[in-house]
Amino acid sequence: MGNIEERVKKLLVKLFDMKPEEVNSEANLNDDLGMDSTEMVELVVALEKEFKIQIEDGEITNKHCVSDVVKIVENKLKQ
Amino acid sequence: MKVAITGIGIVAPPGVCKEEFWQNIKAGKSFISPITRFDASTYPSQVAGQVENLNTNPIPRRLLKKIDKFSVMALIATDQALKDASLDLAKENPYSIGIFTGNALGGWLYAETELRDLYVEGRDGVSPYLASAWFPAAPQGQISIYYGIKGYSKTVVADRASALMAIGYAAQVIGNKKIDIAFAGGTEAPVTPYALLCCSTEGSISRGPYRPFDKERNGFVIGEGAGILVLEDIEHALKRGVNIYGLITGYGTFCNGIDRIMPDPNGKGLAKALKAALDMAGYKPQDIDYICADGVGTKLGDISETRAIKEVFEKKIPVSAPKSMFGYLLGAAGAVDVIIALLAMQNSIIPPTINYQTKDPECDLDYVPNKSRPKEIKRALIISRGRGGINAVLTIERG
Repeated sequence: MGNIEERVKKLLVKLFDMKPEEVNSEANLNDDLGMDSTEMVELVVALEKEFKIQIEDGEITNKHCVSDVVKIVENKLKQ
Repeated sequence: MKVAITGIGIVAPPGVCKEEFWQNIKAGKSFISPITRFDASTYPSQVAGQVENLNTNPIPRRLLKKIDKFSVMALIATDQALKDASLDLAKENPYSIGIFTGNALGGWLYAETELRDLYVEGRDGVSPYLASAWFPAAPQGQISIYYGIKGYSKTVVADRASALMAIGYAAQVIGNKKIDIAFAGGTEAPVTPYALLCCSTEGSISRGPYRPFDKERNGFVIGEGAGILVLEDIEHALKRGVNIYGLITGYGTFCNGIDRIMPDPNGKGLAKALKAALDMAGYKPQDIDYICADGVGTKLGDISETRAIKEVFEKKIPVSAPKSMFGYLLGAAGAVDVIIALLAMQNSIIPPTINYQTKDPECDLDYVPNKSRPKEIKRALIISRGRGGINAVLTIERG
């Protein structure tokens, strides 16, 4: 499952032009990475495409940190 | 009314800084070129005033993909104006600074790209950034966010008169002591397939050279760009000891109430706006040394503008339409014209109306044809008009 974390981080760096070193597991999407509601929509759409999963509205928000997002994706893939 | 103009920011086909812009304007060069960024071969008009190779480095890439070119140009012009006015925003109260941007169309490149993907490519949604990228108040919002500006602000959507009305509105808000400083002007990015098609279909767009007031005129050519001024309460500007380009002294606006597109043939609404601006400034008509005209380049537009000017001004005052060099920047045009008038005052040179060849007996003013002219200018007047019968007039004087 380790590569899922890497893929999520890579996605964040690519989509939002973030520095790889700032996208650590504990980074909060809003407080630390400055993501707004529209960027969250882009992230969710990209995650759905990358992992071929379905994410419901409100399941991932910018209150989450990177490791939360990874866990949600991992759980979806197990189902 | 006396409101100081202390900073200039310009992004336009003749230049992306005031020095380059003015060198080209006073030389009377043309900056209309064939459209190459999309296939315009089936369009009646295939030329435009275009801002090429714009350096967007000051704007973070993460932001760039969320905003349309009209916001990008507004941000770059604002950055120039801020620096030109030597403003340190950290020393100012953010609630005493406002933003007043004019725009006519919105960010159509962003909007039409998404619509094409939706309807032609069959994508099942649009970008989450579309809703906040395309709408006419987007530049105001972006400038506010980028600089943390929080005071009384407004976006003005009034067709081609948008920017001049935004500046007139901002000056009045400063005059009413609601704010100390305003970033005021306009921005427009109409060189896109759908925007150009709409303008062409309406019938005001020229197929050939843009030749205002010339008998062989056939409409205007569109152009893209942004102009932003720093307006400042005069006491505030004097206290900062900053250079004052000029003062806004009068503003007037009236509607025609006649036609959706065409102006009043007799220019009555414009004449009333001219008188109102002069009255507010406390000027007599003969006090004005230069008129920067709307010069839309349609038969009725040019003739009615000439009639209105003749009704108010007995003496022949030089009237020019420098936008003949780079196109009509629609909702940004008034700001660019104010910048031209300020630089004309500073340099004592009247920029010309270019492409002027054939005299029209119904347009018999001194249009400063083809070559700029040395002249001391103490007071100038700027005219902007728009569809729906909108007339706006601003007067300025040397600082």
